[in-house]
Amino acid sequence: MTFTTSRHPLAAYIDRFYNGQSFLPDNPDNVKEVVGILESYGYVLEAYQENLQHIADREFLTIFPFFKYFNHGVSSNQLLKHLAHDRINFEYAEYCMKVMLWHGGGKLEEYVESPDFRQLIELAIQAKIKGNPIIQLLHRLFPEFLPEQVRQSVYYNALGQFWEVMYALFLNLGKAYDQGKITTIPEVVGFIKAGLVAAAGNQIVYAVQIGGKSYDILPQSANLTFLMDVAVPYVEAVFFRGTPFLGTVSYNAQAGEIPFEQSAFTYGALYADPLPIGGSGIPPTLLMQDMRHYLPEYLHKMYQSSKRQENDLLVKICQSFQKSMYCVTSAAILGLAPHDLKTNDPQEQASNLAYFENWMDRFLTSQLRNIQG
Amino acid sequence: MLSILLVVPLIGAALVAWWPGKTRSIASTVALAVIGWTVLLLTKFNLGEPGMQFVEDFTWIDSLGLSYKLGIDGLSLPLVALNSLLTWVAIYSSDEKVDRPRLYYSLILLLNAAVTGVFLAQDLLLFFISYELELVPLYLLIAIWGGQKRAYAATKFLIYTALSGALILAAFLGLAWLGGSNSFTYNPALAHALPLNQQFLLLGALLLGFGIKMPLFPFHTWLPDAHVEASTPISVLLAGVLLKLATYGILRFCVGLFPDAWQVAAPWLAGWAIISVLYGALMAIAQKDMKKMVAYSSVSHMGYILLAAAANTPLSFSAAMIQMVSHGLISAALFLSVGVVYQKAGTRDITILEGLLNPERGMPVIGSLMILGVMASAGIPGMVGFVAEFLIFRSTFPIFPIPTLLCMIGTGLTAVYYLLLINKAFFGRLSPQVQDLEAVTWRERYPAMILTGAIILFGFVPGWITRWSEPTILAMLQPPAIVATVATIPTLDLQP
Repeated sequence: MTFTTSRHPLAAYIDRFYNGQSFLPDNPDNVKEVVGILESYGYVLEAYQENLQHIADREFLTIFPFFKYFNHGVSSNQLLKHLAHDRINFEYAEYCMKVMLWHGGGKLEEYVESPDFRQLIELAIQAKIKGNPIIQLLHRLFPEFLPEQVRQSVYYNALGQFWEVMYALFLNLGKAYDQGKITTIPEVVGFIKAGLVAAAGNQIVYAVQIGGKSYDILPQSANLTFLMDVAVPYVEAVFFRGTPFLGTVSYNAQAGEIPFEQSAFTYGALYADPLPIGGSGIPPTLLMQDMRHYLPEYLHKMYQSSKRQENDLLVKICQSFQKSMYCVTSAAILGLAPHDLKTNDPQEQASNLAYFENWMDRFLTSQLRNIQG
Repeated sequence: MLSILLVVPLIGAALVAWWPGKTRSIASTVALAVIGWTVLLLTKFNLGEPGMQFVEDFTWIDSLGLSYKLGIDGLSLPLVALNSLLTWVAIYSSDEKVDRPRLYYSLILLLNAAVTGVFLAQDLLLFFISYELELVPLYLLIAIWGGQKRAYAATKFLIYTALSGALILAAFLGLAWLGGSNSFTYNPALAHALPLNQQFLLLGALLLGFGIKMPLFPFHTWLPDAHVEASTPISVLLAGVLLKLATYGILRFCVGLFPDAWQVAAPWLAGWAIISVLYGALMAIAQKDMKKMVAYSSVSHMGYILLAAAANTPLSFSAAMIQMVSHGLISAALFLSVGVVYQKAGTRDITILEGLLNPERGMPVIGSLMILGVMASAGIPGMVGFVAEFLIFRSTFPIFPIPTLLCMIGTGLTAVYYLLLINKAFFGRLSPQVQDLEAVTWRERYPAMILTGAIILFGFVPGWITRWSEPTILAMLQPPAIVATVATIPTLDLQP
């Protein structure tokens, strides 16, 4: 066993990383829970990414995208199903996209605010609004409106690309578990880390087709990559800052539950309380509603063996999902570590320790302790 | 016709005790049969007739002056119906795996027969026998199926209520002796002929007896203990019906037999009502155990009935009647909800319970029913509790303005302690101790749902309760002068 010299309140978790473990304790139930939930998440992400990319490509600068959730065309039958809520909650994917857009981060944010980007998208905008005097007038009167819509499309596309990698990774993880290749939490973390590292350098590019011609929005020359420009901002926005578990917790500003500094406000997947608060009227989380359709049988059995069986299925999914997100975060932290953890160089050791302590500061108010049981 | 209401549960009790298997089904069927017979009685009941109906009169033991005389009027009919309903609710909400089911269900049916006997008896001695008979099954139901301190609670209940019975018997014997009567037939003229000091003596004994049973401060201490230790169905019967034996006794015997003495004692009784209302409410605020809180709430709410009885007007008597039914339904619904909470969470301590309204892991339906119950108890409009309390205050204010105002503080305090309960136990985040609760089944919800439905229904059509008793009350509060005085007080049209 390796013990660091850290005096951080969460030093025990730093020691875990040094000993090849992760945030989540390694036991068969946790493995089953995490792999099962990530597999169902994989199916949901596949649908989400397809829709996000559909919106980015087909609904580009559509001012009223009424049918944006209908990837495969609109029919009366599909419309009825949609209204009856017999569908995937694509809204959740949009919430995540908007959280990324609002929080920004990485080179992607820098690029969409750059003059190069404005110059490039103006060509696409002009092509799109050609022959539409009302929108042309709108563009003249409010020159920031359409570029902001394009920025949003960029994030639709970027998140779609990120999840395109992640859904395949999670489905493969499920297959590997089914084949007996994955048996421990460190193996789960290792599998995710390997997937992230393998895709780290993937180029993020985006172009739209208007009038049979292709218009670059995120060109190759922007040199945006998967890990640093999309994955890391996504983790920051959704895991640490965003609003992923809609309706599971409410903050009371008058009770001082919201930090004075906005940057200190945490509401992400790693902080959210899986237990809904209050009485009726709180909507169950959209993501949990979607994932319940794809739970593997072994996870159903595991949930059914509990005292309340599947009466609180959404809470159980939420808890399992939170555990799995700690595994993904563990993989990301390990993947981004400045030096090899087994280094003998004192300076590198100190640098690694500072890196981990910096991360642990952010987990002080998280659900980290609650997922240990 | 009335004897059927006694015979059916008695035969049912014997069947349950001796018939092999299907104990619960038999008990439930018998209780439903009693409800059916009560409904038939309601349809046959002559609303315009103020006196006793369906009278059955046989000499039983001539040498004792005891006769088997039954009758029903507007005062007893709503309470008989309440007893029938709550007996079925108690059987339905009993644990399916209850120990010694034959004894348990037969005792509940026996209790039903005894309570019905109290409401129907038109012979003072028969009333007393039924009143005492009810003690035996209830004592056993608490002593055998109660909580950890059941022996203590059951014994305390027995001692207090036996003393109550002794005082009532003493009053009845005194009435027959002083009145020079050989029989114990209910006869207001007999008491009216007595000098006022003798009337006071007898009324005092009756008041003490019924005051213990109601219970009123300072004779209430048996009730919280009995409730805390009794199982949920028994608490339903205890609060819903058993306490009404005393309030019924006060209206029927204290006011009915000794109207002159009652008139003189009324201001003092109003004072007693204030103390009981406020003491019960303040004690409820101090409780941490949900069941004890509901029990002290009963002490407080029984005080309103005494206030209404003290006012001694037709409207106040109607108000007292509606409060009896109202309290029976509300307290039963509250005890049922508390029972489910206790069964699932293993505690009733509001310092431990929190967030039970949680839609995923709590008990939102039971929580909602509990909220409706406490709203009704606190007198929120649209529920029968509001009608009862409003009528009480409306009718007592012209007679006792200060006591009425002081009792109205009790209503405010009801909202205080129940909101404390709801806020602590049901709102907020589920406390860690109760995050792994078993789900509540619909079967467990139905009894409280049925009662809550009745609470709301009677809140909108209170006339469905008062219509039965109005002619009886008007006739009871003769001489006509009183009726004429009261007629000048504007009354609500209680007809639906």
